[in-house]
Amino acid sequence: MSSVAAPHAWLAARWQRWWMARVPPGDQLRLTQRNIYILPTGAGWMLALTLLILLVASINFQLNLGYLLTFLLAGCAAVSTWVSHATLRGLQLVLAPPTPQFAGTSVRLQVQLINTRASGRHGIALSLRQPRLWSWTDVPPQGSAALELSFAPARRGLQAVPPLAIQTLYPMGLFRVWAWWRPKAQVLVYPQPEAACPPLPAGEPLAGQGGAASSSASSEHGGVRAYRRGDAQRLIVWKKAAQALASGSDALVSRDAQADQRSQLWLSLQATALRDTEAALSRLAAWVLQADRLGLSYGLRLGAVTVAQGSGAAQRERCLHALAVH
Amino acid sequence: MMQRLHSLPRDTRDTLFLLLVVACCIAPLVAHIPPWASVLGALLLLWRGALAWRLHPLPSRPVIWLLLLAVTGFTLASFRTIVGPDAGVTLVVMLLALKTLELRARRDAMVVFFLGFFTLLSNFLFSQALGVALMMLLALLGLLTALVNAHRPAGRPSLASSLAAAARMALLGAPIMLALFVFFPRFAPLWGVPGDDTTGRSGLSGQMSVGAIAQLALDDSVALRVRFHTPGGEPPPQSALYFRGPVLSAFNGRDWYALLQPEARTLGWAIPAPAELQVQGEPVRYEMTMEASRRPWLLTLDVPAEPPQLPQGMRAQMTPELQWVTLRPVTSVLRYEAASYLRFRHGPRERTPMLRPYLQLPPDSDPRTRALAQSMRAELGGGAQALVDAALQRLRSGGYRYTLEPGAYGQNTADTFWFDRKEGFCEHIASAFVVLMRALDIPARIVTGYQGGEMNPLDGYWTVRQSDAHAWTEVWMQERGWVRVDPTGAVAPGRIGTLQRLQAPRGAFGTALGAVISPSMLQRLRSVWEALDNRWTQWVLNYTQERQLDLLKRLGLRDPDWRDLVRVLGLLAAAAALAGAAWVLRERYRLDPWQRLMQELHRHLRRAHLALPEHLPARTMARHLREAAGADAEPLADWLLRLERARYGAAPEEASPAELRRALRRLPWGALRQPRRPGAARPENGG
Repeated sequence: MSSVAAPHAWLAARWQRWWMARVPPGDQLRLTQRNIYILPTGAGWMLALTLLILLVASINFQLNLGYLLTFLLAGCAAVSTWVSHATLRGLQLVLAPPTPQFAGTSVRLQVQLINTRASGRHGIALSLRQPRLWSWTDVPPQGSAALELSFAPARRGLQAVPPLAIQTLYPMGLFRVWAWWRPKAQVLVYPQPEAACPPLPAGEPLAGQGGAASSSASSEHGGVRAYRRGDAQRLIVWKKAAQALASGSDALVSRDAQADQRSQLWLSLQATALRDTEAALSRLAAWVLQADRLGLSYGLRLGAVTVAQGSGAAQRERCLHALAVH
Repeated sequence: MMQRLHSLPRDTRDTLFLLLVVACCIAPLVAHIPPWASVLGALLLLWRGALAWRLHPLPSRPVIWLLLLAVTGFTLASFRTIVGPDAGVTLVVMLLALKTLELRARRDAMVVFFLGFFTLLSNFLFSQALGVALMMLLALLGLLTALVNAHRPAGRPSLASSLAAAARMALLGAPIMLALFVFFPRFAPLWGVPGDDTTGRSGLSGQMSVGAIAQLALDDSVALRVRFHTPGGEPPPQSALYFRGPVLSAFNGRDWYALLQPEARTLGWAIPAPAELQVQGEPVRYEMTMEASRRPWLLTLDVPAEPPQLPQGMRAQMTPELQWVTLRPVTSVLRYEAASYLRFRHGPRERTPMLRPYLQLPPDSDPRTRALAQSMRAELGGGAQALVDAALQRLRSGGYRYTLEPGAYGQNTADTFWFDRKEGFCEHIASAFVVLMRALDIPARIVTGYQGGEMNPLDGYWTVRQSDAHAWTEVWMQERGWVRVDPTGAVAPGRIGTLQRLQAPRGAFGTALGAVISPSMLQRLRSVWEALDNRWTQWVLNYTQERQLDLLKRLGLRDPDWRDLVRVLGLLAAAAALAGAAWVLRERYRLDPWQRLMQELHRHLRRAHLALPEHLPARTMARHLREAAGADAEPLADWLLRLERARYGAAPEEASPAELRRALRRLPWGALRQPRRPGAARPENGG
């Protein structure tokens, strides 16, 4: 931390940390008197100055109507503190559990703003601390509004959702009313899949089927072959079929029950032949996606962790989760 | 066009609305700023509107700087300064119009709002009448609406909803405004109010060019309001209702000047003869409310012997010509009490050298009037009364006509009146009359002021308008002193006696209006408006420090001063804070009827040992209860389903919370009561 270059920034960061430590985390937040703050904005100070000048002018020119105007504005400003505060007070914020993402893409946070009051709430904004980009919404009376924020996670793994700020300037922009929110939810970030990764590794011969030929010779990976008349419907790789139909050729692909029996696809750090763990994890993530796309059955070995053979979305989630937290 | 208006981008719509509001703020000022500023302001606003309409980009910064420079230059050229009220107002208006060209970010919008507030205030420098106040209230609401609208960045909120929010804020702010208005201590001006700036202001002045009052005759605005403290509020006879203003004694052939004016000194005036006032009889007491005239004269009914009772900090003194003047020009509505004697004598009884200036005429002026005077003297001798009578007789029978449109008078105004035009109104007549008197060697002078007025039947106030402005004369006579002579009465007796005024020629609008609304109806409407306007003046504009302290006295304080006012304000603020705290507590404990109903249900359930978690929805609770209590729970389950329908169903005829509460209490709770055992109803999520 360059405390010498920017003592101001350093102080601000310290202050922020101190403050954040005092915000209890939770996936729901009900804004009350206790967690809402209010301070005048620059425009608010400007109005104070304007009022002072108007008052002096009224005194100097002995304008009773000038007094009335000045005091009416002052009254409006005073009421606007109340209105501003009430805009946030009683609002309920709910964070939808964030869906896991790959590193390198941004995580989208969906926040539901729930208003139980009979009147609407206007001009409410939500933002992350960094970057400070406010997204604005109105919440209808006895209804709710949804806001979406996104942030780019710095690394893979299970990590906390960054603190959120909620604010309003409504109605006159004289006061900023805001609250901090530290969600409890954590977001899972998978390793970034390698962009151009080598083909899947060869399957391993099944234990107990000694002497069976390696399937690496098979031109179609993981026991997939062209459809033959008479293949059972359950053997058809529908995912591939859909792709084929979309591309115009109606070549169907079936699972080769024989091949399935002959070998099993195991993905592991060793199979990547990479020394750098992160790169290896990236490659494994790419392989998992590829195997899933092909509808293969596969398993994952990661040091002490082993994900048993399987296929489908659940298997993919399991494997990616294992990769993320490795 | 309407369709385009609805399909405009939100930014454009907001900008056009703000421009409209800005135009409303500026519009009443057009009469008070130089014409170039009005034209330029209108052009700038139109330009900005066109840019917004066509979605064109805003002008670049150098263009705006150039315009700013030009505007400052024009202002300097017009006023020789950029400080002071008039130049300041012009500059604020110009800045406001210019700033709209820069309306990009929120900060710029805020600057427009603040300049808008200044513009609103500067309107009050010129008029604080009820009409202006109402218009400014509208403009203020417009500004607040635009401000609220600017702070609703999401979507396309309707202006009506922003207006509602702004009006609500203003309404809630009104009590604060009232408290501050009533109790905020009124101070004397912090620095001197700039003096007698006469530009663009109607009313009497210390100078009269023959023909100038013609404009006043068309000005319907109120000059004075009088309430007579006579039994029954009866005014003195109308023929005695002469409200004395500036006395014009110095004459240069065309213009008449009061002795306070610097021009009078160049005409060789020294100290005039002393007033030497003697009064008789009982005075008429009255309360006078004078509109701001920006001049030092206090209008009084002829003639008070004692100074009028002025608000604190003001003093009045009598000039030798019997006017009451203050040390400071009257810059705001001023109310004072006075007592006037209708029977009085003033001026020296004997002819003194001090009267000589009242005989002055410019050399070589009005030769035919001088000739007329010579022939009159030759005929009638030196008796002043006989000469005055003869002159009045000439006015009565010489074919002279009273008109508001006499046309322009050239050089030798008296000659023109007596011999050529033979028509004019009070000032032509009075001027010609005084010239004739002076030519006859009778000291004479012009008195300007107001004559007559009308009573508002609604509140009993006597209203004197600018159109009641009048000029009459005073001639000096041996042993009688100054005597009031109103030569206009000789030409048009109706002008003085019954106060029937000449109708100013009505424009096309007036004629059209007259066709729709009968004149008597118009008269009544005007009475109502005037009464309202007068209430406004009496209550709001006349709310001075004195009345503040009076109020405190009535509240029971013995010897109040401004510190007590501050104390009252502090007390009010404390009370407001307490009320706010009470409100917060109330809000914390306030539940909506449904929540209260659910609480009551849970109370009953706990008593029956059927407690269920409070977050369960009604349908789930019904299921749990059926499982836990079997058939006994059936009515309760039914009730819960009814509650669900009433709360979330679409049908409007469902039971209200009150009905449901009654039904809840009638449920067979006795049969439902379970022996106490844990887990009578399994708490469970979902369902």
